[in-house]
Parts: sequence; C-alpha cells; structure tokens
Amino acid sequence: MNFLKAALLLAVSALVMIAIATPGMMLAQGADEQMLLHPPADSWPGYHGDYSGRRHSSLTQIAPQNVKNLALAWAFQTDQIAQIKSSPLLVDGILYFTVPENIWAVDARSGHQIWHYIYPRSQGEHIGHRGVAMYKGYLFFVTPDAHLVSLNAKDGTVRWNLQVADATKGYWTSMAPLIVGNRVLIGVSGDFDNLTGYIRSIDPETGATQWQWNSTPPAGTPNQTTGGMTWMTGTYDPDLNLVYWGTGNPTPVLKGSTRPGDNLYTCSIVAINPDTGKMVWSFQVSPHDTHDWDAVETPVLVDADFHGEPKKMLMQTSRNGYFFVLDRTNGKSLLTAPFGPVNWSLGVDEQGRPIPNPAKEPAPDGRLIAPDEGGMTNYRSPSFDTRNGLFIVDAHPSYGIYFAKPADGVYGWAGADYGVWGKGVIEAIDYQTGKIRWSHEVGPEGSGAGVLTTDSGITFTGDAQGNFLALDSSDGKTLWHAGSGSHIVSSPITYELDGRQYLVTSSGGVVFAWAIPQA
Amino acid sequence: MNFLRSALRWSLLFAAPLLISPAVSAAQTSTHSSPAPSRVKQSGAAVPEAYPPALVQSGGSLFRQNCSFCHGRDAAGGESGPDLTRSKLVTQDVGGDKIGPVVRNGRPAKGMRSFDFSEQQIAGLVAFIHTQQNTALRRKGGRKGVDASDLQTGNVEAGKQYFDGAGGCATCHSPTVDLAGIASRYQGLELEEQMLYPKHAKSKVTVTLASGQTITGTLEYLDEFTVGLIDSTGAYRSWRTGDVQYKIDAPVNAHVELLSKYTDADIHNLMAYLQTLR
Repeated sequence: MNFLKAALLLAVSALVMIAIATPGMMLAQGADEQMLLHPPADSWPGYHGDYSGRRHSSLTQIAPQNVKNLALAWAFQTDQIAQIKSSPLLVDGILYFTVPENIWAVDARSGHQIWHYIYPRSQGEHIGHRGVAMYKGYLFFVTPDAHLVSLNAKDGTVRWNLQVADATKGYWTSMAPLIVGNRVLIGVSGDFDNLTGYIRSIDPETGATQWQWNSTPPAGTPNQTTGGMTWMTGTYDPDLNLVYWGTGNPTPVLKGSTRPGDNLYTCSIVAINPDTGKMVWSFQVSPHDTHDWDAVETPVLVDADFHGEPKKMLMQTSRNGYFFVLDRTNGKSLLTAPFGPVNWSLGVDEQGRPIPNPAKEPAPDGRLIAPDEGGMTNYRSPSFDTRNGLFIVDAHPSYGIYFAKPADGVYGWAGADYGVWGKGVIEAIDYQTGKIRWSHEVGPEGSGAGVLTTDSGITFTGDAQGNFLALDSSDGKTLWHAGSGSHIVSSPITYELDGRQYLVTSSGGVVFAWAIPQA
Repeated sequence: MNFLRSALRWSLLFAAPLLISPAVSAAQTSTHSSPAPSRVKQSGAAVPEAYPPALVQSGGSLFRQNCSFCHGRDAAGGESGPDLTRSKLVTQDVGGDKIGPVVRNGRPAKGMRSFDFSEQQIAGLVAFIHTQQNTALRRKGGRKGVDASDLQTGNVEAGKQYFDGAGGCATCHSPTVDLAGIASRYQGLELEEQMLYPKHAKSKVTVTLASGQTITGTLEYLDEFTVGLIDSTGAYRSWRTGDVQYKIDAPVNAHVELLSKYTDADIHNLMAYLQTLR
C-alpha cells in the first residue's frame, strides 16, 4: 500500500470513528442551547466557557507530568496595536476573538484566518473589548459607540446593527454578551458621566428588546446615585433559572456627597430572572463606594460543601479587596474575608458587607487607600479549581492616594487618584475559610493575566513581565513558562480537537495556541 | 480599569502649578504638516497658542476615543492616568515634539500602549491637549486636580519627629545630604509620590556564578527565570536564575513597609516637613 492510500484510509476511518463517537458533530451547527448548557470538550462557546464562570476544564491531556514539553502549536498576529483583552469563543473548530471594532474568525487547528470583520471607525471609548457571544450560527458583538451588531458566523456578514445605548451621553460597550435561551444579555460602560447602568435582554433573531433592568435611578433624581455599569459578562444557573451579574461603581465616582446612603444597586451582585428581567435578590459588596471599585468581577458558581453542608454558592474576589461567598439561592452571606491589604473599612456588618470608613473617602489633602483604584483584582477571570477546592485569582496588593475637593465638581470622575505601589500575586483561596492556601508572586505593578485551571491539576496564568505560566494547582509551584513579548491582559481557555488538547493564551496583539508536541 | 494603566502615573512628569517653559518660546522645529498655530510673544513669555478650531475638534474626538479613559475626557486625569493639564512634558512640548513620541512609542514599562496615528492625527491630539492645558492654566483658583496648596495640612514639627522616629526615614535619608533641596526638585503631588514610593529608585544586585565569581551591578530585569543587571562598564548581562545565586539590595522596600503603617496624618506631616527642605 502506498503512502497516499494509507493516509486516505486512515483519514476515512478517523472520520468514521468521529462520526460514530459524536453524532451530530459532523455539520457546523453553531452554539445551540445544549452546547451552551453542556459545552463539549471541543468547544468554548461562551465568555467563561460554561455558564458557571469557574473557568475550570475537565481536560487532562496536558498534565503536571508533561507540561514541561508544552510547545507552540501556532500563533496568530492581529497586526494591530490594540491589546487582546477578549476570551476567544470556540465553536465548530473556529475561534472568534476581538479587539475594539475588530472580530477575527480563525481555524483552531492551524491558526489561519477565515475572515476578519472591521466595524466602521466610531465615536466612544476604545479602551478594550472582551469578545463575542454566539447563538446558533450568529455572533453578537458590541461596539465603542454602543451598538450591538449581529453577524453570520460563517462569513462575518452583518445581519443587523442596532444602538443599545447613547454614545453621545457617554456610554460605550466593551463586554461579551451572555446568551441565555433565546436572549442576548448585554451590559453597558460609562464612568465619566452620571448615567444609569443597565442590563438589556435582546431577541437574537429580531434585535427587539425583551426587557431592561436598571441598576440605578434616572440621572437627576435628587439624592440618588447614578452609575452601576454592567460592563462584564454575568453567569447563569439553569436549575435556579437565575442570571448573576456584577454592577459597577456609583457616579460621581470619587465623591459621595450628592448620593447619600448605600447607592443601590451599585457595586452589587444581583440575581435576575432571565424570563422577566426582575431582580430576585441583591448583595452589595461595597456600600457607598468612593474608590471606583466596581463589583463586576466574575460571579463564580460552585456547588460543594460549605462547613459540612451541601450548598449552591456564588463566589467573587471583588475589586474592593474582599472575597465573598454567598448562598446563590437567596443572596445571603456565607463568608466575607479580605484577600490582601484593605484599609478602607471599619469591619464587616451582620449581612457580610464591608462597612466603609468615612475617614477614608477621598479628601482635598489625600487619603492613602489599600487597594488602589485598579483594585485587588480586576476584569481578568479567576478560576475555581474543583479538584482542590481552591478559588484561584490574580491578586494585586496595592496602595493608592485619593483626592477630592469642591473644585472637582460632582459630575463624572469628580476627584483624582494615583497608584502608589502594587504587585501581582496568584492566590489560591480556601473558600471555606478565606485563608490563602498558597500564593505565587508574579511581579511588580501586577500581572494582567486571568486564570484557568484543569482537572489534571494545572493552573494556567501569567506574570507581570509577560511570561505565560503553568503552576501546580496544589502548591503554586511553576511547572512551565514561555515569554510572550508583551503584557498579558486576557484569560486563557482550553479545548480538545482531534484528540489533542490546546491551551490558548494571548498577549499584546498575538494569540498563541499551545499543545504537547505529537510525533 | 486595567491596573497596568495605573502604572502610568509616572509616564508623564506632571507638577504643581506650572510655569510656561522657556522651550515654548523657542523656535519651532516641528515637521508636522498641520496648520502651524499662531504665536504671539509678549515680554519674553509665550502666550498660550491658539490652534485652528477644526484641528482641536478632530484631536478632541480622537482623544475621547483613545486617551480619555486614562487621562480623562478633558485631559485633566481619568482612571489613574496623569492630569495632562498639569504635565510638565506637555508644557515643554512644541508642536508635538514631545507628545508625539510618547503617543507613537507608548510607555510600555508604565502600562501605556503605543498608537499608530498619522501625523495629522497626532497634530490634532497635540492641539487638543495644549488647548486643554492652556484653558486650565488661565483658570485662576478653584482648579480641579491636586494643587500644591492642597497638600499643606500637615504639621512640620510632627513630620520631623516622624522622620527621625517612628517612620525610620532617618535610617536611610538625611535632610542635609540626599534630601537637601528635595522640595526645590519636586513640589506638590510629585513630591508626595516620591515620598511614598520613589518608583525610579534603582536596586543593586550581586550575582554569584557557579564558578564562585561575583558580579555586582544595578538590577535591570528580574522575573522568576532571568536576572539581568547593568555592570560597572555599563553593559547589560543576564543569567538564568536557576544557574546562579543572586542577592538583591533594594532599600526602596522600606517605603513599601511603611504603607501599611502610615496614618493619613503621618503622610501630611511628613509632607509638611519635606517641603521645608528647599
């Protein structure tokens, strides 16, 4: 038998085997409801992978024993200066990732470009973009001028384009939408104006608004806050039929004088019924915030024992420096504990909420605050390692100085703040106690890398100098690294294609796929 | 916001109420093709230049899309980015000769990315930033942002006591040696930031090779895997951390240790004292 024949036979039998093993996977179907509810190993169909926000994979081919051999499978250059902050989606063997006004569709096996969509240059903030969402064969993409664009995943052609917020008022959009059933959930950004934050549910077929939930009252309501932007992707519990979303800080940002009280529902975790848009419960992680510490960090859903009792939990390492564990059926606190230096609170109240210290509000002569405005962590994803029961986060112990005076006004930022010092530490938090089981320093100023854990016992992340890292999830020791040549400001994903596990990371404007070399 | 951007604060040297730099009145040597601003000189001091409104507007639009998140929509500071209306670099910039390179090259070490803007786009940004600074400088009193006059609430004597005692500052510093004239070199917010954590302070490192040879120099790079230094000849040298032993001497860490100990009053008092060291 000659070589070609042998190869052909091999290929055909492989195809047959795949067809038998995974019926229905031969044709591109897009991201249907079953895929979103139970993502197969050869997919990463939402921002967080699955709905839980755990960013934990059951894949084990890349393991502590062989990860030292991990090598580049391919790299993709966007040829753009914009940093990749998005998490790619993977559906039907194609990766989709973004920077503001750009989507790329790339072959997940080879890294070659299938199409590249460019949105017309628009007004609004171009600060970053977190990625697309997929419903069936359609992509959903938000823009700096606060439009939602729906595209055909096959070729990147536009189906429709609608405005979801008014960019002339100061809104912009940068988040990856969340698909729940036949709903596209989007959130908005806008900290430089006194604006109302909201989540909007949009029909993926028609673009019609299904409902809108506002986090704060309309601008101009006396003694009420504005803000509560919804600029990161929430999570979803299909059994409880609740969507969990973190809301942003109040506005004016650094000055609280015109917005007395707690400023609901800013800096909160809210549970929303996706069928009605009604809030079922809320938990405020920073009452009356004056430090820009939004609570949009991933609300991670974990089912496990808590102090001996099985619980449906929600966990968040929040920008304000506290780790929260809630009962996600009702929003009641199970644990509140700082995960680094925090000097702005007077302790924790009976409901598990930190009590802000009025003496630590920004002042004309400055206040030294821990953490700094970037916070103890930020938008990059943490991971819950189900194997070791550890919540693993890229933490940022830090100090900043905060100023506010009458001349700063009561609109938008309304003050000034400056980072003083910070560093990056990957921390593994025991969720039952809040104690830090292990920590791994990742450099001055801090790393911008998110975290992915796998069942084989690896924690993938990165350091401040741009090294991708594989750590042992049980003790934080380094198992593998690769210098990337730029800052890492995204969270890793993993998938398995053709029996081969890939790790996908990005830094600067380059996407890297890694795998164990094959003979 | 991305905390890398918070590292940006040193990226442009900003200072307390600024004098119009002599550089502004120097001959303009810019090569950009945009309409040159009209310049009026009065008794040796430059009057803020006026840029064509259309150029300022296009620059403002670009600024809003790309710069305002960190630097504020009015260029007077946003999420941790410096207040450009108080920036010394902006004051010294002539026709983009200083702003242009910062925009084009970024300040990667400080978390500022580069932007591949055209000459015309940079000219617009330059026009917008200067216009914002000129407007801010003309404002008498009641100016937003941090003025040196805001930082005068401390007590000199208490600050001196803290310096000599609880703060432990005198262990490394002397008001008549390294800190002599410090308040002339830095004022206001810049002085306070230097006091809290001097980001540019260099550390020393001694590397011991497997052979036993030691090399001492200025620490230039360090991660888990590589240590790099500038040796006594000015050359960069590096080693894999697994192949050598190294010891870092970083006196700046004493500043970090103080961060968790300071009261706000300690900081204000220390500022009051340092401001007497002119």
